[in-house]
Amino acid sequence: MNEKKKIPKTSWKKKDFLGWMIMLPSIILFAFFVWEPLIESVRLSLYTAKGIQTEDFVGFDNYLRVLRHPDFLDALKNTFVYIGWSLVIGFAVPIIIALLITETIHLRSLFRVGVYFPNIIPGLATVMMWGFFFRPGKTGVLNILLSKIGIEGQVWLNNAALTIPLIVIAMTWKSAGSTALIYMAGISGINPELYEAATIDGAGIRQRIRYITLPSVIALAKTLLILQIIAVFQILYEPLVMTNGGPNNASISIMQLVYNYAFRDYKYPMAAALSVMICIVLIILSGIYFKLTTKKED
Amino acid sequence: MFFEKFRKKKDGTIRFYDLHSKKIKVLCILILLLCLFMVVISVFPAVWVFLASFKDLKEFRKSETILPSHYDLGVFAKTWADLGFLKYYVNSFITVAGCVICAVIFNGLLAYGLAILRPKGHKIIFGLVMWSLLIPATTSVVALFVNINRVGLNQSFIPLWLAFGANAFYVIMFKQFFESLPMELLEAAKLDGCGILRVFQQIILPLSKPIIAVIMIFAITASWSDFLLPYLVLDGSGKETVMVRLFAFRTSNATDVEVLRAVAFSMIPPTILFIIFQKKITEGATMGALKG
Repeated sequence: MNEKKKIPKTSWKKKDFLGWMIMLPSIILFAFFVWEPLIESVRLSLYTAKGIQTEDFVGFDNYLRVLRHPDFLDALKNTFVYIGWSLVIGFAVPIIIALLITETIHLRSLFRVGVYFPNIIPGLATVMMWGFFFRPGKTGVLNILLSKIGIEGQVWLNNAALTIPLIVIAMTWKSAGSTALIYMAGISGINPELYEAATIDGAGIRQRIRYITLPSVIALAKTLLILQIIAVFQILYEPLVMTNGGPNNASISIMQLVYNYAFRDYKYPMAAALSVMICIVLIILSGIYFKLTTKKED
Repeated sequence: MFFEKFRKKKDGTIRFYDLHSKKIKVLCILILLLCLFMVVISVFPAVWVFLASFKDLKEFRKSETILPSHYDLGVFAKTWADLGFLKYYVNSFITVAGCVICAVIFNGLLAYGLAILRPKGHKIIFGLVMWSLLIPATTSVVALFVNINRVGLNQSFIPLWLAFGANAFYVIMFKQFFESLPMELLEAAKLDGCGILRVFQQIILPLSKPIIAVIMIFAITASWSDFLLPYLVLDGSGKETVMVRLFAFRTSNATDVEVLRAVAFSMIPPTILFIIFQKKITEGATMGALKG
């Protein structure tokens, strides 16, 4: 980053001013769409409001109302369940895909393109599509497939214990390919001489994976893990469309709660209060992420 | 023949010299089959949507088969007309076009400032942009929606377009690219007395075609798929995009096959785009990976 400082500062007159002028339109957009809404969330969360007009300052009342609402505990608990399942399913699958594809030589570009394909399908279309797959009864796609191998049909999303894992599977289907490509870039970047040296020292395939491939994957995995947890906090339309949070709040996500407060009940201050709390958690996670990535550079 | 190709293999754990052993040879074939299986899983659901869309409602509700009994493109045309899907396509195309233009111009200019002009204090902006990269837009969507209403921009495409001009991810990608440009060129232009806008126009822009292409493709798929903000801003305005229409099925009494065909319609443009630009897109995917 610093080597660019070579440009002599005097050569462009009013360089700083012009530089800021060029960035200004974009900065205004960032302010309006990203930064100001964050501040506005905090302000909104401290007031009562009629529609979008704020009325009286009420301090942390909105926060207390959110925290005391029975749905909050469900959503919070679900967030951890989502994180847990996305670690079990969503975290491992891209690594496995990447490990397998880098061991191929034939058709590799087909594999790359193939596993990435779900990523370009619109998210809303993805969840509606998986809705058809998870349909209970004899016409659900998965039930048809199961009946072919003689297994009885399931009720899928209507089974409270299965709801979140199934939603995570649908999400993983969509996102695993793009994450796998990042891992593949990492694995391909390993110096092949390392493997050769290890082989000369008598290391078998298993040992080479254990001592050469996996360590380099783990460095990447740490940062991608935090990004994935951040992504889990944003889960919204998957439960909204697939289950509407049900059965019995079994899959309601914390962002969905924000959505319900704001756009179903029109209680914007409560929605803002919950947003602020999510934001604080995310800022902490982002801080951890920055710590991890900057350490890597040293 | 099959294993001869492994000579060219440059990465991965299994090397050519491992192939003396029969076990490893079997393993290689097994891996190949597994990879094929993964591709099938990745592609099958989308293919199924198109195939099942050929079924009529009775067949869809009753029959326990994956494939339809007959293929007739007429059913697609009928649903297309019944739902008035042309309107949603047009609205989506308007949205996408504006979003792509904003994404390239505004994020590009900001990155130009951050990477090359580097005016005093630019680091503050860069820090703010980095943070916004990690705080997802969905958490502030309530406040943003309230703000959009206050400035009277609801029921208009404008906030959707401009929102793509403030994308931290695109800024970082542009910035990384600009920083890799040869500085000598810029120095030379500067010595020739080019103003900073002319440098941008005549040197940076022509050199930046690859990154602009990647950002454009990303912005097209992202704005086509974007749904929460378009739904909040456009719902009930007659300017609904394809995704807003899809979401409306949640509360409508459309039949299963109509929903299925609408899902198919929504997947066609990104699929075509992907087939044309598959190489660029898969390369861009790793380029966008955070390099720390």
